[in-house]
Amino acid sequence: MKFVVSSTELLSHLQSISRVISSKNTLPILDNFLFSLKDKQLEITASDLESTLITKLTLANASDGGKIAIPARILTDTLKEFSDQPLTFEINDDTHNIVINSENGRFTIMGQNGDEFPQMPQLKDDKKVSIDVDSELLLSGILKTVFATADDELRPVMNGIFIEMSPDDLTFVASDAHKLVRYKRTDGKADATASFILPKKPANLLKNILPKQDSRVRVEFDEKNASFTLTDYTLVCRLVEGNYPSYNSVIPTDNPNKLHIDRLELYNTLRRVSVFSNQASNLIKLQLKGNQITVSAQDIDFSISAYERLNCLYEGDDMEIGFKSTFLIEILSNLAATEVVLEMSDPTRAGLILPAESANENEDVLMLLMPMMINA
Amino acid sequence: MDRNIVHMDLDTFFVSVERLQNSKLKGVPVIIGGGSDRGVVASCSYEARSFGVHSAMPMKLARNLCREAVVIRGDMELYSKYSGMVTDIIAEDAPVYEKASIDEHYIDITGMDRFFGSQKWTHELRQRIIRETGLPISCGLSVNKTVCKIATGEAKPNGEKEVQSPLIKPFLSPLSIRKIPMIGQKTYELLRSMGIVRIGTLSEIPQEMMEKLLGKNGIEIWRKANGIDNTPVVQYSERKSISTERTFEQDSTDIARMRELLAVMVEKLCYELRSKQRLTSCITVKIRYSNFDTHTLQKRIPYTSFDHVLIPMAKELFERNYQRRMLIRLIGVKFSHLVQGSQQLNMFEDTPEMVNLYLAVDRMRNRYGKDAVGRAVGVKDFEGRR
Repeated sequence: MKFVVSSTELLSHLQSISRVISSKNTLPILDNFLFSLKDKQLEITASDLESTLITKLTLANASDGGKIAIPARILTDTLKEFSDQPLTFEINDDTHNIVINSENGRFTIMGQNGDEFPQMPQLKDDKKVSIDVDSELLLSGILKTVFATADDELRPVMNGIFIEMSPDDLTFVASDAHKLVRYKRTDGKADATASFILPKKPANLLKNILPKQDSRVRVEFDEKNASFTLTDYTLVCRLVEGNYPSYNSVIPTDNPNKLHIDRLELYNTLRRVSVFSNQASNLIKLQLKGNQITVSAQDIDFSISAYERLNCLYEGDDMEIGFKSTFLIEILSNLAATEVVLEMSDPTRAGLILPAESANENEDVLMLLMPMMINA
Repeated sequence: MDRNIVHMDLDTFFVSVERLQNSKLKGVPVIIGGGSDRGVVASCSYEARSFGVHSAMPMKLARNLCREAVVIRGDMELYSKYSGMVTDIIAEDAPVYEKASIDEHYIDITGMDRFFGSQKWTHELRQRIIRETGLPISCGLSVNKTVCKIATGEAKPNGEKEVQSPLIKPFLSPLSIRKIPMIGQKTYELLRSMGIVRIGTLSEIPQEMMEKLLGKNGIEIWRKANGIDNTPVVQYSERKSISTERTFEQDSTDIARMRELLAVMVEKLCYELRSKQRLTSCITVKIRYSNFDTHTLQKRIPYTSFDHVLIPMAKELFERNYQRRMLIRLIGVKFSHLVQGSQQLNMFEDTPEMVNLYLAVDRMRNRYGKDAVGRAVGVKDFEGRR
C-alpha cells in the first residue's frame, strides 16, 4: 500500500476525527487510526466502540489498496510540525511497517493489522428509518440543547438529546430534571413519527464536524445505532436505549404571570448578584412587584448579600420565586433573542423562559427551569 | 507568646438548675437521668457522688448504690435556657469565647492582662455569673485549653485555679492520668496495665512509643501530658451533622417497628434540616446490638431535605446494615455533609402538590409545635409510648 497526501489536508481530517479517541480505551487498537485505501479513495476511521467517525479523502496518487492501523498520537504529533508538503506513505502489508517520506526526511512507525480494528456496527435494513436533514438545522438543534443534558449514571436516557420526528416538525429535547430545553423546527419533516436518544459524546462530535459541511445530512437509525452521513464524514454511534420521560406533561400550560425583560440586562444582573449567593446552593430570588423585578442573593455563612432592581414589563400577581443562579445564567446565555419572556404560575412550579421574538420563523424554543424551594 | 485561656465549667449543672427550682433538693443526693432502668446518669450532686455514683453510669446501678437519692428525669429545655443565660453574660464581657458544651465555656483573654489583670477579670466574671444566675461555677486560668480544663477540674467545686506557665509541669505531674480529657476508660486501663499512674510518668515516655501504642491519639495524649495544646478558642463552629438515636426499653428484633421508628426519626431530622435551611448529602444509619457491637453504614446522596427521599434510603441502609441475627439495643440516623441552601426541585419527581404539602406541614409545625403533624407511623409510635 502506497499513497501520496498533502500533510495539512491529512492533518485537518485527522484532527476532526481524533476527538473520538478516548484517553482510556479498553482495546489498545483503538488508540490507532484505521487507514483503508481503495481505488484512490482513502478512508480514515477513529472509534471508541460507542462512536465511530469516518472521513474520506480522494487522492491523486495511490497504488495497491489495503488496510492498516496507525498509532494516532504519534501521527498527529508529527503532522502538526510539518509545513504544507506532499508526504509519501509506504506501508509493508506483511510487517505493518510504515515509512513516511517527507521533503527532507524519513519517519518510520510500526502499525498494526487493520483487520484487528473493530467492525463498525451495521444498521438493520428492515428496521432502519432514514431522513434527510439540513445540516444547519441539526447543528442548531444540538447547540441549543446539549448544555441541558444530564450526567446521571442512574438514568442514562437523560444523558442524551431526545430527537423526535413527525410529519409536521423535528423536535430536540434535553433535560437533567432541573432544566429542560425543547427546540422545535417546522422546516424539518419526516414521513412518519420516530425518535431516538443521541448520547452526549456523539452530539458534541457532530457539533464539531457539522460546521465544516454545508449541505444535507442523511440520518439513519434503528433501535440500537444511528449513522449521520455528510459529504466527507460519517458518524456511526450507539444510541441510548430506553424510554425518554414524557417531557410534555411537565411543561406547564397555564402561566398567568408573565415577565418581559431585556435578556442581556437580566443576564448581567444575575452574573453580578450570583457572586453573593451561597456557593453550595446558588440560590437567587426573583421578586416581582408592579413593573419591577428585584434579583437578590445572600450567603449567611459569610454575611454577604446583594440585590439589584430592574425595570420590566410584568403582568400577574406579586410573587417571589427562587432559582439556581447557575442554571438561569446558562439558559439565558443559550438564548439569542434580545428580549425574553419568563412565564410562571407559582413558586413551586416550573418557570418557562422563551425568546420574545425569533429570527427564524420555523423555530420554536422553549426552556424550562424548576425553581428552588423557598420557605415563605 | 503565652496565651491566657479561661475555662469555665458549671458545677453539677443540671442538679444546680433543679435546686434553683426546688430548694428542698439542697444538701440531699440528687441524680438526674432517664426514668427507665436502661438510661444513664446525666448528672449527679456531690452528695450522690460520695456514694460512688458518677455520670454515664447505668441508672439501675446508681439507684442501687444510693437508694435515698432523689431521681429527676431532667428538663433539657430548662437547662438550655440557663446555659444560654450564662453564655450571654460571658458574651457581654469576653472578647473571644467558645461554648464547648452546655455547661462549659472557653474564653481567650490574651492581652487583657495589660488592662485588667487576668485573674481579677476572671474572678469578677465568675462572681457575676454566680450573682446573676445563682449557679455555682468553677474556672481554671492557664495558657492553653487542656491545662485550664484540668485546672478547673482541680478547682471544683465552686473554685478558681490559676496555673502559670512555669508551674504547668509541677501542677500536672502528680495528677492521675485520668484527668487528661482524652483518656477514657479503655486508654486508662491500657496505660494503668503498663504501670503509668501519674501524668508525670506519662510525659516522660518517648513520643514515638506513645505513637506506636495508640497511633495518632498517642501523640496527642503525650502532648497534653506535657501541657502542650495549641488548639485555638473558636467562637463559632458550624454544625457538621445532625443526628438522633433511640435506645430501646428492651433489646429487640422487632424489625417492623424499627422501620417505623426510622421513618419517624428521619421525618424529625428532615424538619430540622428544612427549618435551618440546610440540605444533607450523606445519610448514616447506626445499629447497636445487645453486646454493644456498633455498626454504621453511610451513603452519599444528592443534596436533599425531603422526607420521602430520605426515608426509603434510611430503610435501605438499615436492611443492609442489619446483618447479624442478634437483638438490637439502639438504632440511630445521622445526616452529615450539610450545606446551607434550599432544595432544587426535580420536574419529574417533585410535584407542586408534594412541595406545597411540605410547606404547609412545616408551617403548621412552626406554629403549633414540631409534633403538631406527622406521618401516621409516628402517631402510632406516640400512642404506643403512653
